[in-house]
Amino acid sequence: MVALAVAGVLAVFLLYTALGGGSIELLQPSNLGGHAGTVSLTGNVRGPVTGDAKTDTGLRFSLHNIRGSSPLIPIVYRGSVPDLFKIGRDVNLTGHLEGGTFVANQMTTKCPSKYTATPKNNI
Amino acid sequence: MADLGRAALVVSLGLALYATAAGTLGALEKRRRLADSARNALIACFCSTAVASLVLALALVHHDFSFAYVASHTSRDLSTIYALTAFWGGQEGSLLLWLLVLTAYGALAVVLNRRLLRDLIVWVVPVIGGISAFFAFILVAVSSPFQTQVPAVDGAGLTPSLQNPYMVAHPPMLYLGYVGLTVPFAFAAAAMISGHTDERWIVATRRWTLAAWMFLGFGQILGAHWAYVEVGWGGYYAWDPVENAALMPWLAATAFLHSVMIQERKGMLRVWNMILVALAFELAVFGDFLTRSGVINSIHSFAKSSIGAWFLAFVVVTTLFSVALILWRLPLLRARTKLESPLSREATFLYNNLLLVALCLTVLWGVIFPILTEIFVGQTRTIGRPYYDFFLRIFGLPLLLLMGIGPLIAWRRSSVRALLKTLRWPIAAAVVAGGSLIAAGAGSSRPGLIAYTFSAFVLATIVVELVRGTRVTGSLFQLIARNRRRYGGYIVHAAIVLLAIGIAGSSAYQTEREQKLAIGQSMIVAGHTVTYKGLEHERTGVANETRAVLALSGRVHGTIRSGVNSYFTGDNSREVGIHTDWLRAEDTYVIFDQQQGKYVYFKVLIKPLVNLIWVAGFVFLGGSLVALWPDAREQRRLVARLALARG
Amino acid sequence: MTELILGGLIAAAAVVLVALPFFLGSDEQLDAVDDAGERRLALIDERDRALAALKELEFDHRAGKIDDADYRALVGPLRRAAADALQALDADGPQE
Repeated sequence: MVALAVAGVLAVFLLYTALGGGSIELLQPSNLGGHAGTVSLTGNVRGPVTGDAKTDTGLRFSLHNIRGSSPLIPIVYRGSVPDLFKIGRDVNLTGHLEGGTFVANQMTTKCPSKYTATPKNNI
Repeated sequence: MADLGRAALVVSLGLALYATAAGTLGALEKRRRLADSARNALIACFCSTAVASLVLALALVHHDFSFAYVASHTSRDLSTIYALTAFWGGQEGSLLLWLLVLTAYGALAVVLNRRLLRDLIVWVVPVIGGISAFFAFILVAVSSPFQTQVPAVDGAGLTPSLQNPYMVAHPPMLYLGYVGLTVPFAFAAAAMISGHTDERWIVATRRWTLAAWMFLGFGQILGAHWAYVEVGWGGYYAWDPVENAALMPWLAATAFLHSVMIQERKGMLRVWNMILVALAFELAVFGDFLTRSGVINSIHSFAKSSIGAWFLAFVVVTTLFSVALILWRLPLLRARTKLESPLSREATFLYNNLLLVALCLTVLWGVIFPILTEIFVGQTRTIGRPYYDFFLRIFGLPLLLLMGIGPLIAWRRSSVRALLKTLRWPIAAAVVAGGSLIAAGAGSSRPGLIAYTFSAFVLATIVVELVRGTRVTGSLFQLIARNRRRYGGYIVHAAIVLLAIGIAGSSAYQTEREQKLAIGQSMIVAGHTVTYKGLEHERTGVANETRAVLALSGRVHGTIRSGVNSYFTGDNSREVGIHTDWLRAEDTYVIFDQQQGKYVYFKVLIKPLVNLIWVAGFVFLGGSLVALWPDAREQRRLVARLALARG
Repeated sequence: MTELILGGLIAAAAVVLVALPFFLGSDEQLDAVDDAGERRLALIDERDRALAALKELEFDHRAGKIDDADYRALVGPLRRAAADALQALDADGPQE
């Protein structure tokens, strides 16, 4: 009886996550190309950084793979800029591709390589 | 000095291996001297690990930069206390802390129980020895805190955002919890290996499990508070994999603490309890693996390193070991009594367990989903907040309700009539509460309303229980003192209810507003007027601090300072301003988002009842301590029982 | 140099601690509880469980949680179970 309940519960998760569109794909600049819809893009911030995230034109910079080679993806970001944002930091962006530019409205930073117990999350 | 540390760890490894080998041999051949020697080896292992820890601690305090670890995690200007907290600030040091706590718990467990439970202890020693040997091996061969280098002039320092009291308390407290779950696991394994699968291993480890669970729970609330006030995005839990790493074993341990009560009373659920305790232990180690390997895209993770593979192997091996043991002893573990009715206290405990494990598996699924999709579908997909919120409600709200029904429903079997009769006051309280809440506007969030109503119900049942019990014993103090486990448990339930109310209020009924203000301008959020008064600048030894001064008026009055610290190292860190209205347990939370010329973008959140969460943390601690409190009578009874059996 | 001495001392202390039981103890069989003792322990547990259940029922009745009708229905089987357990324990044999 217990086993059945557990199996039932697991089936519910599987259905929810597979069908419910509850998941979002994690990509890097090297495999971003051609993806439609909202995705999560992780990469390293490259300059120059121009603009203002609070204006219509947005904050503009480029994103490169954290490791390995990749194209440089132009980013337009509108929203709250996390504390640790700067050139050379690893960030995670949520948004979609528009033409060749990635338009994002959520950004989080990974703390630099050492152990820090702080999630830097702007919801 | 680093050589001494390295040597001490090698000695620890050797002793742990000896404890495993000699302990196994001594237990198999029933040779007392060998078993005692193995036990002593475990104690000696703690001593040598303590020496290694002392070496590292002294190196940190004396800023000995010939230690690579000291150089990369501290700097000369770091105060003593933060230099010490750097002990667990990095991978190698935190592993050493794990081993220290593990050997300390192990030594204590075998010493305290050496007379009462000899036939179990002989197997507990090699199990803990084996686990300690793994960690000692990692510390000696894979990730040593005693790497040396040419002494640097100064160290890299501790990230400024980590220099706060939370860093002092949060990780050690979590470790006391994680590692503490090893003790019941070791006793359970010992029970299965020795064939003594009755309740004695549970009775022996009950306080250990409770203590570990208490530390893990309180440690998480500390972490949530840290996130809330220091990290400052307005929330306290992000369902980040590393946060979940602590939640999962805690949920499994909560289920275990409840189901052992059934085993003690009815001899049921014995297989289930073995599975649960192994699950709690595996999740604790798995959580550690998650944090260290960086295998999941988590904001918390340590740098990726080879250590992940070792940990994964350890988790796989120990899981297979546990499964094999349970399958082997299945005939011994099979229950002798069955569930008589789906409407009984036994049944509510079972439902409680199912819900807790379901929630635990939900979180686990969410955590490993990216890995699974990467392997099977070729895409890495992550699951967001809505998934967790959905299942938290589906499983959490019924759990809340059960907390009220469980203590009042009869054992073995009950009827709907009897149940309604016992519950009449709590049901009335819930109806009244629900009605008033709807009138007050709480109907805007259905889950929030349900959470509040259920909470009122549970609080009423606890009050009813306390009132009834006090009528019998005469005083509340006597009541609690004579039944520490039960009433300590009720206090913990009250804490969980406060937690539920705090979470519901601050999430379902939160108001959020973002606006740019010039000096003199105001914004209105849920009856609060926030006026931007001016900007302050201060230069400290480590940063340029900018603070916007805001005046709060309307429902409450006060001043809030919110701004940014620009550290000379080049990093920025937002410092949020929080005004707490203790009467309403409500917070006005202001985030300094960005400056734009003479304007500043502010994000203001009104979080009702959020402070109940922190109050709940202390109530939780208090209730756990009451339940944990040693009972001289119980101890005497255990001794007498054993004497009687020996004849 | 101090490191070497300290390290040596630690290792020596560890060896002593580990070897101690071989010199102090006698290599008797682990005085674990034998089979008869195991049986007795099981009976003792049975008795304790029955008595605890009875005690809890009494308390809950006095506290008003269980009404008279339910109490009367439940107390009989519990008392019988406790009596059986006590009897079985006595039958197992007097202590030496």
